[in-house]
Amino acid sequence: MDSFIKIENFSKLTPYMTLFWQGILVTVMLSLFTVAIGFVLALILSAMRMSRCYPFAFLGLDKEGHQKESGLGVAIGKFNPLSFLATAYVEILRSTPVIVQVAIIYYGVFGALIELPNFTFLGFIKFERFFPGVVALGMNSGAYLCEIMRSGIQSIDQGQTEAARSLGMSQFQNMRYIILPQAIKNILPAIANEFVVIIKESAITYTIGVQDIMSAVNAVRGATFIIIEPLLVATAIYFCLCFPTSKLIAYFERRMSRGDKR
Amino acid sequence: MATRDKLIQITDLEKHYNGGKIKALDGVSVEIDKGDVMVVIGPSGSGKSTFLRSLNLLEEPTGGAILFDDVDITKKKFKDENGKWKKIDIDVHRQKMGMVFQHFNLFPHKTIMQNMILAPMKVKHVPEEEAKKKAMELLKRVGLEDRADAYPIQLSGGQKQRIAIVRALMMEPEVMLFDEPTSALDPEMVGEVLDVMKQLAAEGMTMVVVTHEMGFAREVGNRVLFMADGKLLEQGTPEDIFENPKCDRLKEFLGKVL
Repeated sequence: MDSFIKIENFSKLTPYMTLFWQGILVTVMLSLFTVAIGFVLALILSAMRMSRCYPFAFLGLDKEGHQKESGLGVAIGKFNPLSFLATAYVEILRSTPVIVQVAIIYYGVFGALIELPNFTFLGFIKFERFFPGVVALGMNSGAYLCEIMRSGIQSIDQGQTEAARSLGMSQFQNMRYIILPQAIKNILPAIANEFVVIIKESAITYTIGVQDIMSAVNAVRGATFIIIEPLLVATAIYFCLCFPTSKLIAYFERRMSRGDKR
Repeated sequence: MATRDKLIQITDLEKHYNGGKIKALDGVSVEIDKGDVMVVIGPSGSGKSTFLRSLNLLEEPTGGAILFDDVDITKKKFKDENGKWKKIDIDVHRQKMGMVFQHFNLFPHKTIMQNMILAPMKVKHVPEEEAKKKAMELLKRVGLEDRADAYPIQLSGGQKQRIAIVRALMMEPEVMLFDEPTSALDPEMVGEVLDVMKQLAAEGMTMVVVTHEMGFAREVGNRVLFMADGKLLEQGTPEDIFENPKCDRLKEFLGKVL
């Protein structure tokens, strides 16, 4: 019986090492861009979710301008369209598989609606495949990061807001000077962890032809009919990317919590 | 009382939850004059804190009126002298009402000095130098000038509460609201906070104090309100309340706490 792994097969991989190097570069770039897009998106989404935009609030007021106690008007008055849209977005993105989202963005949005220019950059990265991949992953991680940010902001004691508002600070000043500086410290580790998750999740983009590490595996398999060994190489690469990153995060987490003198 | 100079006029203040099933405040009417030291006492759950927090709209009342500087701040808008509807800017009113909380609520990521000068600089646009000078004066008054660069976590509870009081004073409020300022403190620290409050009262600051410190109420307060079940049951001078209580609830309450 053949053994599971053949050592000599690894030597057959050497001609394809450039593919793996290119894959690493693509995976890292994919992850960096994704986090950047996701971060900005999450800022907007969490601001929407926590906004106090009540365009129909007047329906809940009586003639004197007091808040009424109950009734249809009060219910409609409490409707916040910005928060509703952001919540719907987050829940839809979190409740559907990434592979479906990537496919819809690539075949649907950029396949039919928007035409992307065909060119390669850095010599081998196909923009018309790379860009939809980044957009899809960014949209997905934006939904997750939004929840991280929202919970980070809501973890700050309500008393902080009360103190700031009682000093006459506006809602915005309270966020800017009191809540966000405290919340960001709490959520930075979670954001960094999301980066590790994205490195792993970005493997899904090989399904739309992004030349990341997984597509290098497939290229080798197609050319040589060797399957297990390239997969093991990919495993090692992903591990070498993710493990040190999460250790680095843990290190900074410890250092930051050292600042909280108790 | 020499002059009755109304500062805050509260009429029929109501705070209902669950469509009126729970009445945290049930028709409270009272006037607060300039220079008053009004102490609010009562059993827990009687609506004392809700009443105090309503005064600067940390709780939104569901009925009644709070006239502060002749503007009803419970409404979202008011008619100005030209008869035009204007939106009420609650931030402006809150600047005139300092508030001190049971749990201090200092900003943990800022030093004592930064805690004190933040609001004056950002809200009133006081120059930094001026704000710092004022902060140092206030810190000296409460004997904490050497802690200006410390972080709140490095202070004791009593020190934190003294800082919270002078932080509120930095905004030069017309009235100070105290929400059980000594309830979260170790017994030996209560005195130092009450001393600061006594000093404030002696200077003529208008104060509304929710407290369980009956000694303070008797000694410093010039008016005492007794609340129970969201209602204002009895009010009067400390002598009236403590020596000649009229209603049974108050007698019962005093029997338990004195």
